[in-house]
Amino acid sequence: MTDHRANRPAPGVEIELVVNGATRSAATEDRVTLADFLREGLGLTGTHLGCEHGVCGACTVLLDGEAVRSCLMLAVQARGRQVTTVEGIADGDDLSPVQLAFRESHSFQCGFCTPGFVMSTVALLAGNPNPDEREIRETLSGNICRCTGYESIIEGVLLAARRNVEAGLPG
Amino acid sequence: MKLPPLHHNTPATLEEALDLLGEHGDEAKVIAGGQSLVPMMAMRLARPAQLVDINGIASLAAMEDRGDVLAFGAIVRERAAEKSSVVAERAPVLAEALPHIGHVSIRNRGTIGGSLAHADASAELPAVAMVTDAHVVVRSRRGERIVAAEDFFVGHFTTSLADDECLVEVRVPATLPGAGWSFQEVARRQGDFALIGVAAMVALGGGGSIDTARICVFGVAERPLRIRTVEDALAGAAPSPEAFEAAAADAARDLEPPSDVHGSAAYRRHLAAVTVRRALTAAAARAGVPG
Amino acid sequence: MEAVGARSIGARVMRVEDPRILTGRGQYVDDVTLPGMAHAVFLRSQVPHGRLLSLDVSEARALPGVVAVYTGEDIARLTTAAQAGAVSGMNLSPDMKSPSFHSLATDKVRHVGDPIALVVAESRYIAEDALELIVDDIEMLDPVVTYEDALDPGKPPIFDELEDNVYLTAEMAFGDIDAAFAEADRIVRASIQVHRHQPVPMECRGLIAAWDPSAEHLTIHASTQSPHMLRMVLPDQVGIPIESIRVIARDVGGGFGLKNSVTREDVAIVAAAKDLGRPVKWTEDRLEHLATAGHAREEMADLEAAVSADGVLLGVRMDVKVNIGAYPSDPFPGAMQAYTIIMSFQGPTRLRALAGTSAALFSNKATYVAYRGPWATADFLRERLLDIVADELGIDPLDVRRRNYVVRDEPPLAMLTGRPFAGVTTRESVEQAAGLMGWDAFGERQRAARREGRYLGIGMASYLEAAPGPRVPGQDGPDIMGYETAHLSIEAGGQVVIVTRQQPHGQGHETTLAQVAADELGVRFEDITVRYGDTDITPMAIVGTGGSRAATMANGAVLHASRELRGKVISLAADLLEANPADLELAAGVVSVKGSPVVSLTLAELARVASDEPHRLPAGAASDLAVTRTYDGGRSGWSGGTHCCIVEVDVETGIVSFERYVVVEDCGVPVNPAIVEGQVRGGVAQAMGAVLLEHAAYGEDGQYLAGSFMDYLLPTTTVVPRIEIHHVQTVPTDPDVNFRGVGEGGMIVAPAAIVGAIEDALRPFGVRALEQHLPPARIVELAGTLRPR
Repeated sequence: MTDHRANRPAPGVEIELVVNGATRSAATEDRVTLADFLREGLGLTGTHLGCEHGVCGACTVLLDGEAVRSCLMLAVQARGRQVTTVEGIADGDDLSPVQLAFRESHSFQCGFCTPGFVMSTVALLAGNPNPDEREIRETLSGNICRCTGYESIIEGVLLAARRNVEAGLPG
Repeated sequence: MKLPPLHHNTPATLEEALDLLGEHGDEAKVIAGGQSLVPMMAMRLARPAQLVDINGIASLAAMEDRGDVLAFGAIVRERAAEKSSVVAERAPVLAEALPHIGHVSIRNRGTIGGSLAHADASAELPAVAMVTDAHVVVRSRRGERIVAAEDFFVGHFTTSLADDECLVEVRVPATLPGAGWSFQEVARRQGDFALIGVAAMVALGGGGSIDTARICVFGVAERPLRIRTVEDALAGAAPSPEAFEAAAADAARDLEPPSDVHGSAAYRRHLAAVTVRRALTAAAARAGVPG
Repeated sequence: MEAVGARSIGARVMRVEDPRILTGRGQYVDDVTLPGMAHAVFLRSQVPHGRLLSLDVSEARALPGVVAVYTGEDIARLTTAAQAGAVSGMNLSPDMKSPSFHSLATDKVRHVGDPIALVVAESRYIAEDALELIVDDIEMLDPVVTYEDALDPGKPPIFDELEDNVYLTAEMAFGDIDAAFAEADRIVRASIQVHRHQPVPMECRGLIAAWDPSAEHLTIHASTQSPHMLRMVLPDQVGIPIESIRVIARDVGGGFGLKNSVTREDVAIVAAAKDLGRPVKWTEDRLEHLATAGHAREEMADLEAAVSADGVLLGVRMDVKVNIGAYPSDPFPGAMQAYTIIMSFQGPTRLRALAGTSAALFSNKATYVAYRGPWATADFLRERLLDIVADELGIDPLDVRRRNYVVRDEPPLAMLTGRPFAGVTTRESVEQAAGLMGWDAFGERQRAARREGRYLGIGMASYLEAAPGPRVPGQDGPDIMGYETAHLSIEAGGQVVIVTRQQPHGQGHETTLAQVAADELGVRFEDITVRYGDTDITPMAIVGTGGSRAATMANGAVLHASRELRGKVISLAADLLEANPADLELAAGVVSVKGSPVVSLTLAELARVASDEPHRLPAGAASDLAVTRTYDGGRSGWSGGTHCCIVEVDVETGIVSFERYVVVEDCGVPVNPAIVEGQVRGGVAQAMGAVLLEHAAYGEDGQYLAGSFMDYLLPTTTVVPRIEIHHVQTVPTDPDVNFRGVGEGGMIVAPAAIVGAIEDALRPFGVRALEQHLPPARIVELAGTLRPR
């Protein structure tokens, strides 16, 4: 097969950022969103695109620890920042506490919205280790799941929160 | 849904940013949180050739209590203001409005200044600016202007900002002792743009009658509207359910709201009356009117 | 893991799928990158109906980074026009006029979003830049939007080759309808509307086509519910034979029926990939998806019911209309709802006669596709009608249901269509739901709340779901979706591999099929792997996963295959151990002599003998431990149940909130209760969206009004309440397989329960809800609480 990559217009700039704890650098165009950069530039396809206009939350990642929609940022805006994606929170094969609680709660079905819920929940529990159901629902109202009706997801967050309390984290 | 070609500029100082704006004129657009601008670019409804990214300008990051006003630099995030106890205490209507804006991850990026500069007619913060008689500070290479909210909002997505100007600060007057505030909106879902919303204030005078009332309705016109005739009529009146009902009906009567897939003009006008009444009632209760 | 011998079926076994999807290691189609892959986007019509006069793609072709631009003319050269349903024979249904069309517009555009041109470029960004350089000239034609438009002879036909916009008409009758009406004490009439809404999986459509010119072989990576369907439908259009097409589908981000068709975009992408000789990826974006991927449910019916004085439906006449949009779905055209809505209307009632006419109509709207419970309008019509009968006769809706729903083992024992009412537990579910909700005490609460200006309402609805359900006696062959085949084998290491033709997209079949095999075969759950999603290995199936059939059909196939394989294992072990097969047991992957566990063989040892030491096998025995088993569905049974909810309506704003939502359901034996509950709740949530939020709305001018997630509103965490699920004691209908589908149930019955509750809340305002979509603006209008200016 011919190498068509020769035709490809040269990307504009090289950017460096810390992704899941590792310094990464790659070339990108100014106009490329952080979501596209993570997926295509870095091959981190765990971050999903569900709407690309900031409504569904599937592309949620952490930017310096805060949940943001990676479809609503340019990759160049993340230059020098810390980005955490769904690939970056498990410890090897050991699921993170939030992932484990979701698994035990049968929280998800098709899995497409899942990365966004995981990252939104990680950020929520980092800010408040023991939120009540109302706070959970309000915080996660920016993430859309079409499969579950949400109850199993809420149960997962509550389970993770209960474990925070058992572990002595302030509630 | 991919953005059109653009050049991303990262000025380190306000002066550099203003130079870029002066140089590129209407080719340039300031980006702060980008939560409205980026999706508009993804849909190719906006296509600035030059983005002037002000997020790296440290002088725009401050949130300050200056006694008579709370000042928010242009890159203060909505979420930061939402979490601030100073805002909760000194600008309660702002604090009440903030959680209605999108969702947490939107507010983590979105800025107060950006929301005002974007001037979406259905957005919450322009109405807060109007009801609090806030001012915005705008700068260009030509100098500085301090613009009252009333004079800042021109139309849907339109402000009195010139192409070379940058909003640098929002000044929200601190609430007066004894004033009761309320922010109410009707949205299809939590976080959606309002079908209609109202920000209101009631302050009582001697003898328990209303000293001052303010009403700002949004989502019903090209820009948020202060309903000054009704505000004036309420001054001096007794804060009764009947007075608020009548004020609400008066406030809604002449509105000409838009129709869309979410509801007709008639429905929005009706909601305006309902919401003005509810907001005045809640504000009065907070001002000390017994329920 | 559970102790040896513990049953896996019925346990809340954690899903095999979850570690992958929770850590971002799932592989959805847009995650796949092939060497040399180019990216495609479609230029789509902005106008609903028009004649394509010219198309200038020269500037787009000249843009650096653009690989190719295809027009309708190009596509007409590269592919053959087709009639939807040709592979299923449905294009030749009686009283149907099937148009032929290409994957890109050649002569006309027929809805907003109709693909006009295809740009292939080195990146999606460049492809979108090129779209802006294409110039089209379209002469606007009168748009056909509503049922009335479609039936108006003054409107232009959407397909020039057809004389009008009536796609299909149908007429059917069961029982003596005239006698039923002659006997009636009352005639109750209603005209009921269901609005256009859509499935909206969180993953949009997507496809990668890769043509290997040397092997003359096509590989497709797809987001589909039915990988083999692409192989069946594509050959006639793209000229590649079925044996040269391999379809791979790994993780699929939801479907809900939408991904059970082969779309025009699929055809165009394959044609482009073949033409270019390099892989082409198309990832649909959300704006395209909402406007074009497929809509459902725009249906209405005029109902006339013959009713006895005590509220029993004796006979129903119905006239149904289905607005199927412009291009029929392939291979299952939406016109089929003209039949299924009538056929499914009876549900669990004792209805004696039913006569229906129906018409499927073309319009300048997006393609009508299957959506979770494609016949769901039938359930909505029936349950609404029961509420209206209750209201007109002044009878409690609960009593009307008691009088109309069948009692198990009492006549009638079969539906009007001949399907037996085997094992139906509708009445039990009604009583359980009414008890749980405190139906009888609710009226007092409702009155007290009204005195405070609060408007509460209660609603109830019941359903039967055929997945596939009991057969009509004497009609033994398969239905359109066929029988189910499973392949089970034991690998050299003793692991069990199940190959299924199901294409899970959230249903957890990797878990549930393994649960069934674990119990039936006697192996550990973690030693079982379920493989799917590659047509090189999976059994043929026009539909992979759809129609909630996996519970009965796939589990049934695996159950019987497991038993057969177990027999094969025991027989071989008996031979090798020189034991009587009856004395052997298989547990945790070890065959041993009962009472003498030291005399044993592991599955790994047996598999090794079978493959490596065939001389030790009994004469004529196959040298593998594998079974392929096809299952016909057995006796099957009904899923069903009752939903009951209490809502509160803010009559000033029209906003509805749920106080309580209860489901009482019967899906036979749940293989994994957590998965069952997820299916039920997910369906109810979609119904809440349908009633309160979701409307694929078009303007009178044919413009699409719900083109983004700010206009097409999906339910969120603050909309959907907790949904209580209770199970009714099930009645087995099959000696072996009593797992029944639950995919559709929540979605098909919940709209009626919710609308009924809203109507009940608005009773003081004299409201009758004859439509399914009740957004706040409509509620305020209906209630008459809209203030005059």
